[in-house]
Amino acid sequence: MNTNLLWKVALILAVLVIFTVAIIPTKNNPEPIRRGLDLKGGTHLVMRVNVGDAVRLETDQAMEQLKTQATKNTLPPPTTRRLNDATFVATPPSGVSPSVYDRIVADFKNEFEVNNTPDGAIQFKIKAASVSSIERDTISRAVETIRNRVDALGVTEPIIAPESGNRIVIDLPSIDDPARVKDIIKTTAQLQFRLVEGSPASDAQAALATVPPNMKNDVDIMPGTRENDLGQAIGTDYYAVRKVVPVTGTDLKNARVQKGRLGEPVIGFSMTADGARKFGDLTGANVGRQLAIVLDNKIQSAPRINSRIDDQGVIEGRFTQQQAADLALVLRSGSLPASLTTMEERTVGPSLGRDSIHQGVLASLIGFIALISAVLFYYKGAGINAVLALLLNLIIILGMMAFFKATLTLPGIAGIILTLGMAIDSNVLVFERIREELREGKTVRASIEQGFSRAFGTIIDTHMTTIISALFLFQFGTGPIKGFAVTLLIGLLASVFTAFFVSRVIFDIHYKAADRPTEISI
Amino acid sequence: MQLFVNANYNFVKWRFHWIAFSILWVLIGLGFYLKNGINWGIDFAGGANITLKFRDKVPLDRLRADLADASIQQYGKPVDRAVLIRLPMQKKEGDYAGLTVAKLNRDLNPESATGKVDLNFHGRDPIADVIFTADPDRKGTNDAAKQYYLGVAENIISKRSDLGIFTSLDQAVSAPGVTPGIASVLRQKTFVGQFNVLNQETVGPQVGKELQGKAIWAVILSTLAMGVYLWLRFDVLFGAAAVVCIIHDVSVSIAFLGMINGEMSLNIVAALLLIVGFSINDTVVMYDRVRENKRKIKTRMTLEEQLNKAMNQTLSRTILTSGSVFIVLVALLLFGGKVIHEFAWILLIGVLAGTYSTVTIVPAVAIAWNNFTGRKRDIAGPASRPRAEEPVRAEATTPRKRKAV
Repeated sequence: MNTNLLWKVALILAVLVIFTVAIIPTKNNPEPIRRGLDLKGGTHLVMRVNVGDAVRLETDQAMEQLKTQATKNTLPPPTTRRLNDATFVATPPSGVSPSVYDRIVADFKNEFEVNNTPDGAIQFKIKAASVSSIERDTISRAVETIRNRVDALGVTEPIIAPESGNRIVIDLPSIDDPARVKDIIKTTAQLQFRLVEGSPASDAQAALATVPPNMKNDVDIMPGTRENDLGQAIGTDYYAVRKVVPVTGTDLKNARVQKGRLGEPVIGFSMTADGARKFGDLTGANVGRQLAIVLDNKIQSAPRINSRIDDQGVIEGRFTQQQAADLALVLRSGSLPASLTTMEERTVGPSLGRDSIHQGVLASLIGFIALISAVLFYYKGAGINAVLALLLNLIIILGMMAFFKATLTLPGIAGIILTLGMAIDSNVLVFERIREELREGKTVRASIEQGFSRAFGTIIDTHMTTIISALFLFQFGTGPIKGFAVTLLIGLLASVFTAFFVSRVIFDIHYKAADRPTEISI
Repeated sequence: MQLFVNANYNFVKWRFHWIAFSILWVLIGLGFYLKNGINWGIDFAGGANITLKFRDKVPLDRLRADLADASIQQYGKPVDRAVLIRLPMQKKEGDYAGLTVAKLNRDLNPESATGKVDLNFHGRDPIADVIFTADPDRKGTNDAAKQYYLGVAENIISKRSDLGIFTSLDQAVSAPGVTPGIASVLRQKTFVGQFNVLNQETVGPQVGKELQGKAIWAVILSTLAMGVYLWLRFDVLFGAAAVVCIIHDVSVSIAFLGMINGEMSLNIVAALLLIVGFSINDTVVMYDRVRENKRKIKTRMTLEEQLNKAMNQTLSRTILTSGSVFIVLVALLLFGGKVIHEFAWILLIGVLAGTYSTVTIVPAVAIAWNNFTGRKRDIAGPASRPRAEEPVRAEATTPRKRKAV
């Protein structure tokens, strides 16, 4: 054997060893080839972040701020009305010129376009640039919150990525309780502490009627559950709560499940230093009044303030153990800046995933065995050559997938055995060519030489066409189909290597070993 | 063993019969589509699919009564006790599969309302939580205790995945790591519900519409890209013939999907895209041969003769390659499971169509083009033009020549 051939053999063995090592599971890396959601079970979610919520919140805050500023500057507060998410109108009391507000309105001009309307009101519209920066900020905060929650759930290797169209793509492998995980992700978890005005009533109108007339514009009506003395739900009560929100969930330092008076699960929370100061001021100044604990626009409870409270409290609300644990989790991980809408969900349960991988592997094994039997039957000696090239091809595909952390999916398994079918094609092209050359009476050496070189261009073309379609497949597909495209691409590259290089080297070795035979088994 | 040595079939002669057959096939498929409409899967039409496995016999009547606008059918064999629920598309976005599953859980598993944990419905966390709260093995309330009970809960879920569904609490209790104490907690605080969710999918109206657009463009653009590649590598005639050939193969496959009333899904589009790239291979091989013969054989041949000769020369390779891909696809079809059944079918038909169109449609198009343009032009391009693959070949042979010295 000459040195050139030796080098080639060494290279092939090195490839074989490196890729084999890559796919052997070890203690640190028990799953060298990452399985897709369809084989492992898991959930793929596409959520739209309703960024309008965040814009609306900004508008609402500006409305409140305008009135507060007016009062501070001893001006009569205007009445405000929101036209849409980004626009509101402030109307001065009758007889007051809008120009008296000029000085305070100036503070809003950074963020708002301010215009006087013909009927003597002032219209505020958030600037387009501000809207898009609010949207960007909302998306990135939503991604961060979701990541916190998913991490708290202990999901391994999640993918949480923003996408165009205000969307977030979330891939959660191996989760076994999608309903609960989705609930946790989607809960907005906006916690607010707001003072109750008037008294609760059984419908919204009646609740509003108990509010003093001068406060009617400053309250929201919200539903809450009515309980009997045993803490059981017996209907709905409506509360009028102040629009001003002095303390929110962002002031929370921690939240955890505790046992309530009757041993029922409640959520105990503690405040940050800043939050504790605000909470102390609020409770200290309003002893004897009801404080509503509002979660996502629903009143969880409205306890009476008995004394000043600084940094500790509990939220009651007929939770089961699991609900309380989940709520504590979302409160700890922070609120979402806007609500989420499900655009797409694909969940594969763990048992279906297990079935799929069994069937996929079984089908591949049977296909593979049938394939090599056919090749050996048809090409005899040279068939061994093809089978060796095929085995190496398989190892390279799996090894490359392990190296590049590519994901193996069910269509991907189909892709692997398909590429093996195609890898055979390259061998077939070469072998048929060699046979033809032999038939034309050429020597074995020349036939091998010619067979390989003549088939080369054709093989490159057939691979290129399939590579082009694999690229389109990658561009088009999501999840499992992307996995299919990746396995195809890797398989095609491996097939070029094995068909030309490996198969050729095996022929050369055989030729040398047989000491320049005058015929070969093909 | 050798097949088709010195084959000499006159493929070209029968070209009009082949074309008629292809057209007939596509028309039959079209007829099926006209009769049944296109069976858009939820990937494109939007809507929701839910597959449930039941503990006992599937309560079909109950499900039908509960979900009035859903189509409900048995999934797999009756012994699998599984059912596929398909919900039509809704106008608004929302988690329809999730809401429906939650509703079924409320209706079919009244025990859930009592606060008991459903071992068939939930995952390891709620189960671990119940045991951890009761702490039957006196592990305390620290993290180690939590991990210990989580491990047990994981074994229970893993056992469920093996079985598909728990049919009795005894099965859950026999999972590894379940101590007598844990068993008694399980018996008190948990139950085995009526069903386990195998999979659920919701595709909202917007995503469905986007996927539909993306799928159509992907098929069209990949076909054109193939035409352009082959035009650059060979010539414009061949590029055009290849595009016709791809349209043929894809149409034949789509027609077949209509005949079996298969669902147009993402997987089917993936299969079609693969057919675009793969079915053209035979044509490339055959055409390469035409070009090579042009160079080798000096005697003047008509286009029909050239094509026939090349097809016969490559016939054995064509049959072998298609045969080997056929073998793996049949294995996939028979053993690959329900999820990729239609995917495998379409690939199989596409591969067959690709082989068939190489010896039938492509020559027909080439000859028709030639007659249409009215000049007996050299289909492999002018001989004086340097051929794109020659430098590559030269490269491949040079080192070997040196070695031979």
